[in-house]
Amino acid sequence: MLEVSDIVTSYGKIEALKGVSLEVEPGKITCLLGPNGAGKTTLMMTVAGILKPRRGSVRFEGRDLAGQAPRRIVEAGIALVPENRLVFPNMTVAENLAAGAFTRSDGAGIAEDMERMYARFPRLKERSTQAAGTLSGGEQQMLAVARALMVRPKLLLMDEPSVGLAPLVVEEIFRIIRDLNRDGTTIFLVEQNAHMALQVAHHFYLLELGKVTFSGAPGQLAEAEVIQRAYLGSKKTQ
Amino acid sequence: MVLVQAIIDGILVGTTYALIGIGFTLIFGVMHKLNLAFAAASIAGAFASLVAWQHFKDLPVPLVFLISAAAAGVLGYLIYLTCFRFIPLKSPLATLMATVGMLIFLEEIVTHVSDGKAQNYPGMLPDARWTLGPLDIRVDYILVFAISVAAMLLLLALLYRTRLGIATRAVAQQPVAAQLCGISLDRTNAATFVMSGVLGGLAGAMIGSSAELLSNLLPLQLTVKGLIVTVIGGLGSIPGAIVAGLLVGAVEKGVETWSVLARDLCVMLLIFVFLVAKPAGIFGKLNVRD
Repeated sequence: MLEVSDIVTSYGKIEALKGVSLEVEPGKITCLLGPNGAGKTTLMMTVAGILKPRRGSVRFEGRDLAGQAPRRIVEAGIALVPENRLVFPNMTVAENLAAGAFTRSDGAGIAEDMERMYARFPRLKERSTQAAGTLSGGEQQMLAVARALMVRPKLLLMDEPSVGLAPLVVEEIFRIIRDLNRDGTTIFLVEQNAHMALQVAHHFYLLELGKVTFSGAPGQLAEAEVIQRAYLGSKKTQ
Repeated sequence: MVLVQAIIDGILVGTTYALIGIGFTLIFGVMHKLNLAFAAASIAGAFASLVAWQHFKDLPVPLVFLISAAAAGVLGYLIYLTCFRFIPLKSPLATLMATVGMLIFLEEIVTHVSDGKAQNYPGMLPDARWTLGPLDIRVDYILVFAISVAAMLLLLALLYRTRLGIATRAVAQQPVAAQLCGISLDRTNAATFVMSGVLGGLAGAMIGSSAELLSNLLPLQLTVKGLIVTVIGGLGSIPGAIVAGLLVGAVEKGVETWSVLARDLCVMLLIFVFLVAKPAGIFGKLNVRD
């Protein structure tokens, strides 16, 4: 469904991604693990079109989207739940959802999806007229997910959805990820929480210092080693 | 009583300063950049309408105002293209200097169009007065007030009731997330420049109209006053710009009853007081976006 090949993205002269290739299969949950600074967020931002790759391709359903404007990528059916949630703090919950549906013009469909979000996330319904900045971290994360779902994405990218949340809330976020996937959404997840990620992933990649160093199903690598490499990086790449 | 009268007058015409302040603050809120050419473009819009008024004799005043608003809106877009669109936004001084250049350029155009002197400009009911007890209020001041308030309400409706408003606020609050929602920064920024330009052009026309004169010195004067209003109100705060606009208007007219020469001095003192006592402005916050 999504094929990233040989992507190089740099900040000035520093290459954050040094030729990354990976694949996300339709209907699956694919995970990208790796230590801080490995380039996970850079990859997400590149796929979403916020960062322009220096070379390489991002093929989605056969079309190359590399370097396209974020709007085109959203319209193609890819939505990103960004790291740190980035909700619009002074807009209400309802307005945040409306912003998520910005590229759509089917008023009835938008209203229907909004109700669907409220059904899936009842806390958001209770707070629909509240400013998003007043929500708790977990509620903001749910809002960020719901905002991305308003795109009706075929592929949902999630960048560290569990970061900074209490363990119970993390459990809930992963339950939501599973639910969304069961309802047919393909998910590409970046996580620091390797333990939780390995429980939901069908396939995972390890990214270290801008390069993919492992690709396989959970269980192909001992969890202890995955965690070691996801947090600290492996010796050979350092 | 003279002072009360003056302060009421000041509040009524202070709404034009509020519009100019809103223009500065709107662009700052969305792009986190100052557009120093904004007030000059507003006056240039008024001069465009002056040229139209001189050319087609007896244009109705509302049409003259609309021409000014439209011309300033177009100028706003041109300023966006020349001073922001292709200039690296990461460098804080680059766009600022570009707008300073634009300010000088627009001022020069105004000097040429005006032959370097103030020009007659059509007034709204200049002789009509409304007597209210001891007060004697000019009807055109009330019209200025009413038009300004209507323009502000229209802006609020635009910001809070439309798709464009969602886009504008989203970009102002969280530009990365706005792009992830498919909102184009470029189009939203451009629309913000046009919106603020239209408000500015309307204010410029009303400033000229209430004096029945359009002064060639206005571009710089209004730039300074608009910036004072913006700073007192708090950069990025629309309610702040409104309150500060009325405050500056009231102080100006109030001091005028005592001494015309002290007028601008006192407005300057006002900003000094605010910078010392409340540097973030009336409603502004000093924290910076991450």
